[in-house]
Amino acid sequence: MVLGSICLALGATLAAGGLWLILLGGSWYYGIAGVALALTGVLLLQQRTLAVWLYLATWTGTIAWAFWEVGADWWAHVPRLVAPTLILLLILSCIPALRRNS
Amino acid sequence: MFRRNLIAVTILTTAAGPLAAQQDTQPPEPAGEETAAQATTSGPQPQMQVGADWPYYGGDANATRFSPLDKITPENVANLEPAFTYETGDMPEGQAEGMYSPETTPLKIGNDLLMCSAMNVLISIDATSGEENWRFDPGVPNEAIPYGATCRGVTYYIDPEAGEGDACATRVIQGTLDAKLVAVDAATGTPCEDFGENGTVDLWKDLGERVPGWYAVTAPPTLVRGILVTGAQVLDGQAEDAPSGVIRGYDAISGELAWAWDLAAPDQNRNGPPEGEVYTRGTPNMWTTGVADEELGYVYMPMGNSAVDYYGSNRTQAENEYATSLVALDATTGEEVWHFQTIRNDVWDYDLGSQSTLIEWQGTPAILLPTKQGDIYILDRATGEPLTPVDELTDLPKGEIEPDYIADSQPVSAWHTLRKDPLEEKDMWGFSPIDQLWCRIQYRRANYDGYLTPPSADRPWIQYPGYNGGSDWGSVAVDTERGIIVANYNDIPNYNQLIPREQADEMGLLPINEVDQRAGAPEGAGDPQLGSPYAINVNAGWRNDVTGMPCTRPPYGGIRAIDLETGETLWDRPLGTARRNGPFGIPSMLPLDIGTPNNGGAVVTASGLVFIAAATDNLFSAIDIETGETLWSVKLPAGGQANPITYEANGRQYVMVTAMGHHFMETPVGDEVMAWTLPED
Repeated sequence: MVLGSICLALGATLAAGGLWLILLGGSWYYGIAGVALALTGVLLLQQRTLAVWLYLATWTGTIAWAFWEVGADWWAHVPRLVAPTLILLLILSCIPALRRNS
Repeated sequence: MFRRNLIAVTILTTAAGPLAAQQDTQPPEPAGEETAAQATTSGPQPQMQVGADWPYYGGDANATRFSPLDKITPENVANLEPAFTYETGDMPEGQAEGMYSPETTPLKIGNDLLMCSAMNVLISIDATSGEENWRFDPGVPNEAIPYGATCRGVTYYIDPEAGEGDACATRVIQGTLDAKLVAVDAATGTPCEDFGENGTVDLWKDLGERVPGWYAVTAPPTLVRGILVTGAQVLDGQAEDAPSGVIRGYDAISGELAWAWDLAAPDQNRNGPPEGEVYTRGTPNMWTTGVADEELGYVYMPMGNSAVDYYGSNRTQAENEYATSLVALDATTGEEVWHFQTIRNDVWDYDLGSQSTLIEWQGTPAILLPTKQGDIYILDRATGEPLTPVDELTDLPKGEIEPDYIADSQPVSAWHTLRKDPLEEKDMWGFSPIDQLWCRIQYRRANYDGYLTPPSADRPWIQYPGYNGGSDWGSVAVDTERGIIVANYNDIPNYNQLIPREQADEMGLLPINEVDQRAGAPEGAGDPQLGSPYAINVNAGWRNDVTGMPCTRPPYGGIRAIDLETGETLWDRPLGTARRNGPFGIPSMLPLDIGTPNNGGAVVTASGLVFIAAATDNLFSAIDIETGETLWSVKLPAGGQANPITYEANGRQYVMVTAMGHHFMETPVGDEVMAWTLPED
């Protein structure tokens, strides 16, 4: 599963940077979302359907956080929502494959 | 020449004390000697009217950029069609590649459009057909390009003594990149022999060592009482020992120096410095466009900062007094009448970039002053007293670099400011969570205490607004009939860091007089600031180093209508679409208003239209002044970073803008002068 590796890499990057930001006194979102995305990647590599549920929860949390932080400023949502939603669609497209393997 | 030097020497020997004390000593006027100024200045001369013509850079003599024309209306503007395109043929070659930012605005007088190209080729074309009447190339070399190859405009002068058909009865005058005043006959393009040396005055005179590119004129000289007044761009950030920011007035007929205003030695150098000396080096310069009140005989010069922008402890008292001030000079004598300082002890490169506008405000002849900080002030034209409330910001952060130099308090306009609230971490941006996160980390790592955070070397600091404004050289337009100011503005931070000298030496940062090749890098991106303990690195617009995307959320620029009576915002909107922007420099083609950086101002017409290009989406648009709604727009073949004009010829109204691009704004370079008009009935 290429997607699993991608999620793991992106998640690890976000988690590392997110930890740095937390240490600098900034937002906790990136660290948390990074860990969740990395875990999603691990679960995808293990071909477990739980990956979908975990990422769905992450994505839902992301939406809630984004609106809490910047309201309905659509340009401000570009970095917050576009890529996570793209990943969601990719993961959802993996459901048939995951089902075959579970 | 010799006679004037003799006078200056006399003054020097009679004035007491060392040069530094010149401030307080009033040298005696040389009795019985007529200075050049007295010999040449006359009473007020008739002013040309805006309407069919566009006779001044700012439209009318008051620089309102307001046209009484009304044939093009909100109802029919959508029918505009191309009238003609003229190509100047001036495109960058060799080392000029990546250094073009022409910013050109033509004048329209009679049947002619008069302009200069990026490299100062003077051109006259027919206002209805675009056919070339004449061109004159003064042969400016590429090495003269300072920060960019720029010629914002020319000045038109009617010789009141000349007869019809005399050579140079009407003349076109420009200041050039290689620091000359050039005057040619407006009818033929032939240099005016009586002006200086065969139509040329050398502005390098009395400035010290001639270093091409360090001292360059990019704005049209300001005409007042037959005197051409000019400052120059002194390339920022090179060294404290830089060419002087002296402002000089020259007789428009003879090119003779009428007076000089050297802010550090105004009396001593009034008629040029003494033999063997030069105008005071490193002083604040005036690179933008002045405006004049012909009746009063005053010329209003928006001053920039000293030669080294981001470190001030070595500046003189005179520099601190005048830097970043609007200065009113009496053009008949060259003496300062008043000055109004918009920022004290400027360490942010907050040069005054806009041309000021003369208005009547609640019955008082006034001058409207926009600033890069976004503050808009209205001052009494005769005295400089503010007519609108000015507040003081107190308890400002001092930083650790030069806490004794950083001012305790700073003026802000309580009447109107274009400045937005300070940045927060959540304002960081990108195209994905990862680059946004990187910007958030940068935000947290920087020193930032809001507006006017002082410079730092241990960590970067955030400067917001950045040096692009607020209001920059495009200035504002004022609809004097409706009482509306139209101000386009930038809304962009800079991410800066001082570099200790030792480190700067290791990096090999050298000033312009010690290097052969410069690459047209953004201003401040590794400037040596020689003479001070720090070089400076500016990340203009605070771009993400990997993606090139801005670190802060849009909009990056907007346009606003302000009630001239009350200072209240009537409408405010982003200016510029996202069609040319995207990550890694890939155009997104999104036709959505995002609000891009913009350079270049607006024109307002009596019919209620605002014409503006300026944004980095390369569109030229008409906006309804009542609602702020875009009614018409057209794609330009290159960046429209220039002030448009409107004029009438053969009974038809035209709108015009030059599409020539801008290296710093990263828009495509071109050489087009484009006009639109309504179809014939």
